[in-house]
Amino acid sequence: MLCWLLFVLGSGTAKAIDFGGDLQVHGFATQGFVKTTDNRFFGDSEDGAFEFTELGINASYKVSPSVLVSGQLLSRNAGKMDDGSPTVDYALIDWNLSNTSDGAVGLLAGRIKNTLGLYNETRDVAFTRPSIFLPQQVYFDRVRDLFLSADGVQIYGRIPTDSGRWMVNLGATINPIDKNVEIAFLGRDFEGDLDADDVTFIARAEYETHDGAWRLGWSAAKVTLDFDASRTDPIGDGRIDLLYWVASLQYNAERWTLTGEYMREPVDFQGFGPLLGSRDSTVEGYYLQGSYLLRNDLELIVRYAEGYTDRDDRSGMTQSAATGGQLPPHSFFQKDWMLGVRWDVTPNFMLRAEYQWNDGTWTLSNRENPDPSATVKDWEMFSLLASYRF
Amino acid sequence: MLSAVPALAEPVLVAHPLVSVNQLTVNTTRLMFSMQLDQWPDGNRVRVFVLPDDSAIHRAFSKHKLSLYPRQLRRVWDRQLYSGTGQVPETVRSETEMRRKVATTPGAVGYLPSAMIDDTVSVLSIR
Repeated sequence: MLCWLLFVLGSGTAKAIDFGGDLQVHGFATQGFVKTTDNRFFGDSEDGAFEFTELGINASYKVSPSVLVSGQLLSRNAGKMDDGSPTVDYALIDWNLSNTSDGAVGLLAGRIKNTLGLYNETRDVAFTRPSIFLPQQVYFDRVRDLFLSADGVQIYGRIPTDSGRWMVNLGATINPIDKNVEIAFLGRDFEGDLDADDVTFIARAEYETHDGAWRLGWSAAKVTLDFDASRTDPIGDGRIDLLYWVASLQYNAERWTLTGEYMREPVDFQGFGPLLGSRDSTVEGYYLQGSYLLRNDLELIVRYAEGYTDRDDRSGMTQSAATGGQLPPHSFFQKDWMLGVRWDVTPNFMLRAEYQWNDGTWTLSNRENPDPSATVKDWEMFSLLASYRF
Repeated sequence: MLSAVPALAEPVLVAHPLVSVNQLTVNTTRLMFSMQLDQWPDGNRVRVFVLPDDSAIHRAFSKHKLSLYPRQLRRVWDRQLYSGTGQVPETVRSETEMRRKVATTPGAVGYLPSAMIDDTVSVLSIR
């Protein structure tokens, strides 16, 4: 991996590899640093951690004017949540059935990025994120696999209007998920397996004015998770149905941007036996974010975000009581303020610094914080990030 | 909304001399530079050339000809590039290289300050 990083940084002419226009190769390398006053986020952050690394390389080939083949390999180290093993982030064929200035329609097949919210499709590319970490209340990193990318097909359309254009996507896919999802939904990693073998449906409609000033969107994913218990597990077979949706609104002026996104996710547990039981709840998260360009290469950002495991129990008291106090109330919500700065040293090299004040621990991974009673309700986080792309 | 610039600094839309049109709508031009429309009306591949995001002529072309800020163009390119659903334009280093690339690449489209225009490229009007 180090060799690869050196290769990436060594090709520092800051120019993508060009093989005559039809084949393009691009990549990125990102390193983060996290220091928290309490609790663990992306590594042993109480001591200061460099356990956040993102490396990606992608290639695309224009087979004909209407057919594009592309793929991206991603290596991600994220504390105890991700160990850096390379994964296929996407690998797809994009077949443009019709494309004129009056609109376009096409088909994607293969492993496809899920078009959720304004940021999910390119969530691991630091240059495309508004901050070092995406607002966790909407873009969970502890269960990112659930919505990252999936295998199947998608139809897309671009529909122009007088003042802008609609982008519409509809997809049917199978979701590859990892242990983080099981730990987040069931509390720990059981002998049995949690899978998403049923078809996941994805839908998005996003409108953007011609001048790019206004963007508004709605996107959703309907997912079913099945748990096959093993004999030694204290819980039985079960099924979790969830519908994750995000409403997005952004306004772009020349020097400033205002963004808000609202996420809601009704979750329905069935089965699992008496210990976990059948229950349903509605997860909710939202944020409001503003950024301002001080100079063309220097941006200030401020954000407020809130998120709840159950919007009917925002204090977490009822849910905490249901666990006999084992899980503290503050593990069921999180409200935070973030203040940050981004410096584009060159168009291909960026530095960021951010400070975040948190009330609650909902977005923390229980893989990184295995003892919930040891977590601290009010905590602060300082983070740094450097990212290079070609 | 957009501030005025001196007429001399206004960039001109240019294309390879064999491109079969002499004018484009703003909408079509914007789609081409957003890498969302990759064929000319005659079916030939569009090949887009741009100067770096921080160059003055790129900023002027984006703002005044496309009514898009360079940051928004970059956002659209990045979203397509890193989701595998599109490619990015070729970035040239100078106006001289821009003229040479547009003059010698079939299907090429780019922009130049009016003082750089010669008979190796064809000028397209935006209506």
